[in-house]
Amino acid sequence: MAELLWALGALAVGLGAGFAIGRRKPVAAPVEALPADNHLTSVTRLAGSLAPVWSAQIDSSRTQMESAIGQITERFAGIVENLDTVLSSSTGALDDGQGGTFDRSRARLGDVVGTLDDALATKRQTVAELHNLQTLNTELRQMSGEVSAIAAQTNLLALNASIEAARIGAAGAAFGVVADEVRQLAEHSLGTSERMAEKVGRAGTTITAILGHAEETAEREDRAVAGANAEVQAVLDDLQELVTGFRDSSSELERAAVGIRTEVSQSLTQLQFQDRVCQVLEHLRESVTRFADTVAEAGERARSDAPPIDPDEALRAISASYTMEEERRAHTSGSPADVRESEITFF
Amino acid sequence: MGKTVLVVDDSASVRQVVSIALKGAGYDVIQGSDGKDALKQLDGRRIHLIISDVNMPNMDGITFVSEAKKLPAYKFTPIIMLTTESQEDKKRQAQAAGAKAWVTKPFQPEQMLAAVSKLIAP
Repeated sequence: MAELLWALGALAVGLGAGFAIGRRKPVAAPVEALPADNHLTSVTRLAGSLAPVWSAQIDSSRTQMESAIGQITERFAGIVENLDTVLSSSTGALDDGQGGTFDRSRARLGDVVGTLDDALATKRQTVAELHNLQTLNTELRQMSGEVSAIAAQTNLLALNASIEAARIGAAGAAFGVVADEVRQLAEHSLGTSERMAEKVGRAGTTITAILGHAEETAEREDRAVAGANAEVQAVLDDLQELVTGFRDSSSELERAAVGIRTEVSQSLTQLQFQDRVCQVLEHLRESVTRFADTVAEAGERARSDAPPIDPDEALRAISASYTMEEERRAHTSGSPADVRESEITFF
Repeated sequence: MGKTVLVVDDSASVRQVVSIALKGAGYDVIQGSDGKDALKQLDGRRIHLIISDVNMPNMDGITFVSEAKKLPAYKFTPIIMLTTESQEDKKRQAQAAGAKAWVTKPFQPEQMLAAVSKLIAP
């Protein structure tokens, strides 16, 4: 593209300057000498015809390039946006900024296991209380035995008292009544303590049965909770491994996506050349049009014996239309000029 | 929500390059294809910075800056000229119109972001 531009430019400038000077000898001698006016008319027509052709071709090239680069830029911009979306969603999927879904799930499962542990601790406490109750029951049974023994002794004592009262005779009759009453009370106490012993014994049997059942249940639940804890931990370990794998591969994908985004962004930066080349082509198209006008004007001047056009002035006018520094340098040097790096000026 | 930058350039590829650089740094971007189109975007919405080309069809960048500065809502909005133009008198005209910086193309995104962050924080 650059070679084409420079070839066009050189041809245009060469043709313009050659015509403006208008005194160059032809390469081959004409077959038939024609008046100078005919040559002028011929060259003017040629320039007038070529200028729109060149302009159209330059415009066509510029438009095609602008369209193609515009589409490439759109695609690249789309790639960058998609990468941004992917990067944003992949970061949020495993880590939502609140500790991550996995970490939260692990904490919740930990809470469930903790609740089961608490329930088990309560159960153990109940078993301990039942053990206390069993001890108390044993003590009650002993106390009941002691009451029976006291009643038996009291009965024996009352019996002796009755015998002594009878031996005294009428004087001991009242004492004999009291002794009988005491003996009846002792017998009654003995009966009560025997019933109490029976009740305490039955209560003890019930407590022992409940205790046995509670201990068995507690052991079973202990094993179940321990098993559940181990299962939960195993599942969490598996999930942790899975999530770590996802995170690792996600990180690799993120790094790759960031790298691609950077590459695409840098490629986009390089596409800025289109803006500059379009401007060069636009200025070249204007120069071609101006050149045709200049040739026409030169012809008119030749026919009317007016002073010839100033080729330097024509070149200065072309130079004045440039906007970029490298255009001016290329114009002056006649060779391609490098694009300078960006400069920033703060006002 | 990031700060909003209006990018004005008749070249779609330049607009895209600038937009991607700015969006990557957390700015929101709206675009105008020339000075006239960009003026329509100045409808009272909050715009923290304007980046404008100089040579554009319909309305050139310097005229656009002058017109933008006449609008009370954008009187103090900083403007960066981003251009291939190298003539000193154009640069002076831009300064006189109210531009705060002059950046020549082709630019590197890092340079542009440095210039932007010097005028507004992200």
